[in-house]
Amino acid sequence: MQSLLYAFRQALQTPSRNPRTAVALGRLLGFAFILCFATGIYSHFIQDPLPGMHFLTRPVWLYQVTQGIHITAGIACFPLIFAKLYSIFPLLFQTPPVKGVVHLLERASIALFVASSLFEITIGLINTFQWYALFPFPFRQTHFSISFVVIGSLAIHIAVKLPIITRYWAKKNAYDENGEVKPLEEHENDDLVRLPLTDIGIGVTSRVFAWIDRAPKPKTPGTNRRGFFVTVGVAVAAVVGLTVGQSVRPLDFANIFAPRKAGVGPNALPVNRTAHAAKVIDDAMSPHWTLTVTAGNVTKDFNRKQLEAMTQYQVDLPIACVEGWSQMAHWKGPRVKDLMSRVGAKQGVSVKATSLEKGSSYAVTTMEPEFAWDDLTLIALEVDGATLDIDHGFPARLIAPARPGVLQTKWLDSIEAL
Amino acid sequence: MAVRLWRYGLLLLGLALLGTGAVVLAQEVKPTRYIGILVWFIGALIIHDGIIAPTVFLITVVMRKRLSKVPTVVVAIIQGALVVAGIITLIVVPEVLKKWIGTLSSSILPQNYALHLGLFYAALVLLTALAVAFYRVIFTRRQKLLSSADQA
Ligand code: HEM
Repeated sequence: MQSLLYAFRQALQTPSRNPRTAVALGRLLGFAFILCFATGIYSHFIQDPLPGMHFLTRPVWLYQVTQGIHITAGIACFPLIFAKLYSIFPLLFQTPPVKGVVHLLERASIALFVASSLFEITIGLINTFQWYALFPFPFRQTHFSISFVVIGSLAIHIAVKLPIITRYWAKKNAYDENGEVKPLEEHENDDLVRLPLTDIGIGVTSRVFAWIDRAPKPKTPGTNRRGFFVTVGVAVAAVVGLTVGQSVRPLDFANIFAPRKAGVGPNALPVNRTAHAAKVIDDAMSPHWTLTVTAGNVTKDFNRKQLEAMTQYQVDLPIACVEGWSQMAHWKGPRVKDLMSRVGAKQGVSVKATSLEKGSSYAVTTMEPEFAWDDLTLIALEVDGATLDIDHGFPARLIAPARPGVLQTKWLDSIEAL
Repeated sequence: MAVRLWRYGLLLLGLALLGTGAVVLAQEVKPTRYIGILVWFIGALIIHDGIIAPTVFLITVVMRKRLSKVPTVVVAIIQGALVVAGIITLIVVPEVLKKWIGTLSSSILPQNYALHLGLFYAALVLLTALAVAFYRVIFTRRQKLLSSADQA
């Protein structure tokens, strides 16, 4: 077993598998992970704020950008993590597999890190096209919990590898004059730098390895390494370039793989949740529909005609989905704060919005005062010059700056000052 | 010394985050769902370490043997193209499948992903061939220059 693992490790040697490569890739991947974590945490708390939290309402595209970064950096993680795992693959076969308690913990922490990272990015990606049937767990809560495990095990991983990381951080310290990776000094053990091949006995496996090993060693380690990094760069450019158009309109022309396409949907705007899926068609189309506005014990009902008779405002605000796609749109309707004044609500209170939709976790949302009383926050009746489509929330929906789409409640039933 | 402090600091931070993760998990996700998460974790390791990585290893070994006469750069270009194709495939095939199963809204997965994937492969083959041809031209020119320099 021992010699088998050893032979494996030998066979896996190639110039692009070395500690310098692992460090260079680790930096990029670590950066992408931190970006995902920071933007993800923002997305979490804007949906579930802790008491006393306040959020920026400008720039209006703030959430569009943070969540666009989340998904884009997230997709870039795929080639990066594969490259990183490729660069350290021989370590999987290190001998002896466990050297002691500390080593066992170290390997366990790496197993946790790799598993949780692969898990996190894979479920994130699958969630962007809502293949929930693959998840034997609730996506949002699980993705949130595991994000701490990913970043926590990342911190531990950096702590463990810090001497190697600092040693190979700068390129000039990493290579010798011949372009070979310098080995680690003195006591630091490094299982990635080429080791001399010893006789591993006779048998099928050793013959296999001998066959592998007779393959010529790459003569030019520099070319091999450069090829490796170019490949990683092209792969990142491909996965990002061919999808990012769903969040960055000027790159829409290159969007051939993203799960959303700008301009595709009713009102030329993508829809996440349809009226049919939300089971609201009858209630929303009813001629008796009214928006109920409440503050304390004052309640007034407004039908669509009455809402249209109020002062109408026109705003440009993006619809920015938690799933990363976004699109700018032109909305028209009365201000939420004007409606609140009609029922005598106290300036600066939070506002609860309730949808006709029943049983969804987003059927009821709360708007913090900074959003509710913002001049740009409307009860939208029209989008891009046409009446709201039923799938975009007809007869009336919320639209506010710098908030995720799930909170821009559609098919409004009531709004209430809290 | 500074490195030591950083190491302990990061270790503590990491443990604190792991603890947070455990608490959040306990609060937000029902224990009956943990087994599903665990299956996914182990599945991710098996799929990567047990299937993807050995396959890549095999392909590189076979290519290294078969293409030992081919210039390193050409091998690198072809391997690079294969890697890019592989990663795109991993990301796009689930979309193709989910689109085939169906989505709740016509604007989720609205594109023809299978067709786009095919076009992508075609473009990649073309670009790879161009890159190899380009390299060959430069390579032979350099060889010629070298040999004429030798004769002179
Ligand atoms: C290491 C990488 C990642 C980390 C640390 C991370 C972290 C997070 C966090 C903390 C949230 C907030 C969850 C909540 O609202 O409770 C989130 C949301 C989300 N993430 Fe990630 N994420 C990562 C990678 C990805 C990737 C690769 C994708 C997709 C390509 C993705 C897609 C999503 C989506 C769609 C949401 C919104 C969930 C919702 O509000 O319904 N994530 N992420």
